[in-house]
Amino acid sequence: MFRKVLIANRGEIAVRILRACREMGIPAVCVFSEVDRTALHIRLADEAYCIGPAPSRESYLCIDKLLDVARRSNCDAIHPGYGFLAENPALPRACADAGITFIGPSPETMELMGSKTAGKQLARRADVPTVPGTDDPIDTPEEAQSIARNMGYPVVLKAVAGGGGKGMRVITEEGAFPAAWRDASSEALNAFGDARVFLEKYLDSPRHIEIQIFADAHGRVVSLGERECSIQRRHQKVVEEAPSTVVTPELRRKMGEAAVRLARAGGYVNAGTVEFLVDANLNFYFLEVNTRLQVEHPVTEQVTGLDLVKLQIAIAAGARLPFAWETITPRGHAMEVRLYAEDPDNNFFPCPGKILARRIATGPGIRLDEGVYRGWVVPLEYDPLLSKLIAWGNSREESISRLRRALDEYTITGIRTNVSLFRRILAEPDFLRGEIHTRWLDELLARPRPPAVPPRPETEAAAAIAAAYWESLQPAASSAPQTSSSSRWKLDGRRSQLDRQP
Amino acid sequence: MKFEVHLDSVTGKTRHMVDLEKDGSSYKVLLDGQPVSADVIVTAPYAVSVILNGTAFEIHIAPSPDGTYKLQTGPHEFQADVRDPRAWRGRKVGALEAEGRQQIVAPMPGKVIRLLVNAGDQVEAGQGLIVVEAMKMQNEIRSPKKGKVERLHAKEGQAVNAGDILAWVD
Repeated sequence: MFRKVLIANRGEIAVRILRACREMGIPAVCVFSEVDRTALHIRLADEAYCIGPAPSRESYLCIDKLLDVARRSNCDAIHPGYGFLAENPALPRACADAGITFIGPSPETMELMGSKTAGKQLARRADVPTVPGTDDPIDTPEEAQSIARNMGYPVVLKAVAGGGGKGMRVITEEGAFPAAWRDASSEALNAFGDARVFLEKYLDSPRHIEIQIFADAHGRVVSLGERECSIQRRHQKVVEEAPSTVVTPELRRKMGEAAVRLARAGGYVNAGTVEFLVDANLNFYFLEVNTRLQVEHPVTEQVTGLDLVKLQIAIAAGARLPFAWETITPRGHAMEVRLYAEDPDNNFFPCPGKILARRIATGPGIRLDEGVYRGWVVPLEYDPLLSKLIAWGNSREESISRLRRALDEYTITGIRTNVSLFRRILAEPDFLRGEIHTRWLDELLARPRPPAVPPRPETEAAAAIAAAYWESLQPAASSAPQTSSSSRWKLDGRRSQLDRQP
Repeated sequence: MKFEVHLDSVTGKTRHMVDLEKDGSSYKVLLDGQPVSADVIVTAPYAVSVILNGTAFEIHIAPSPDGTYKLQTGPHEFQADVRDPRAWRGRKVGALEAEGRQQIVAPMPGKVIRLLVNAGDQVEAGQGLIVVEAMKMQNEIRSPKKGKVERLHAKEGQAVNAGDILAWVD
């Protein structure tokens, strides 16, 4: 086993990995940028080193600084978490040169499977169904338009280097093609420095269902079942669950086998996720591979009873996967919501600031993975994910009622969070029936909101009494100035520049 | 102690008079002139428990920079503006132009990106003074009144915390 592990990340995932190391008796080395000195992962760390100023490119994205810390602190392994450098082949390559184990797949596998077009070609070779479309980037709009005509509309243009919905345009009719081509390539160029786009058949209202795979270095590859991640806001997952309401044991076996074939074809080792789109007839199509641990890994942990992070570490250290896992089936049901410091009533603006107080959700079937605490100031520089609230139940109904109960218990005072979004989703009849697809949430948010439940008179009375009582406890009033921020339109423009982690 | 509480929620604005009278270790509470059975106490940081005729509420209270409170209980949210009718004037400046010497504070932690004025400049109410970047967004901090920029503490590139004084306008 490893002597010491360097955690090349921050936030809740750094805490998650740290906990796995602790349980395995491996000392954990954490890193922090100047604004993260007080972050929870540093409070819990065995060793901690500052790696530079707040901007990620000067700290968490600096491979040389990370390797320097690893050498200085005598680490023999690095866990990248998700986001930051987790899918950058340069990190495992630098680790190999330094004689340090990278907890994840090889750089060659990352290159082979990480890019959307390369991954798709590999899927074809491995006999994994893919969405009809071009494997290669298309050179001219004329060529693309003639392919689209043959394929039949709707089609979608996607950036080769893409992610997070940037450089992506859905085209429903021929006339809209030239404008969509222009927008997709210029957006791709701006976001990724690469204007190349490719074309795919557009599936109407598909589900996003992904398979968690695990592979050891001795040739065994297993599927740990699916996660349903169709609840997305602008291509960002916000609610995930396992198992999916539409996946039968037969479909689970077929999707699992396809994912395992793909992993074998790519020489995959360690944890990975194969994402599929599933249409109304339960046909599944390969979407892409995430060559790392996923944000939503806890739902798989809750229904399999496995600790995926400890497993990642063990496999990186050379351990074998047991035979029995080749037929693993989910037990009960788990659902996760991602709580962000953002305002759902105001176009999901990030709301940084100090957490004045917190009331934690706990009790049967509830798990809280987070990197925050009372008194901590949520930094402005990073993804505003605060907590992942995960509920487990014997049935989907039970995990939903536990999640609702936990959302009522969990309060954060001082900053705004998107908790009301989840109250709304968890009350929608379509969602409760499991009738969802990848555009479901965007469509829900585009509709007028149902009228809010008015507070009862006694609730209002209690609020008035509490406010007066609180005021009576305050020292003599000081006159705080009224400050107002600039135009919300301007802010929204800046907001759209903000990158979100996976 | 008598307070005028203005509540703003999804259903609109309401106004209540709350009279808190110390009664031993607890309070006698009059709500809009009527005595009510209310047990009120601070339970945790920024949390007040109210047991009103047997119904229990925990109300989470966050102060806003403008002197109002944001209250939250279960799915309900209120903005509360509490005024002491005996005081000279309300604490609120509201839409009115501020009076007297005003300190300009950072509304949230961030970084000073640009100074739009110099010390000694004459400014109008609502004119931008300083641009602060928070969470990768730039926010213009404006003058609460017409007057002169007396002092400018903020420097370009400087990191600031919520509540830090950036300038004075008089």
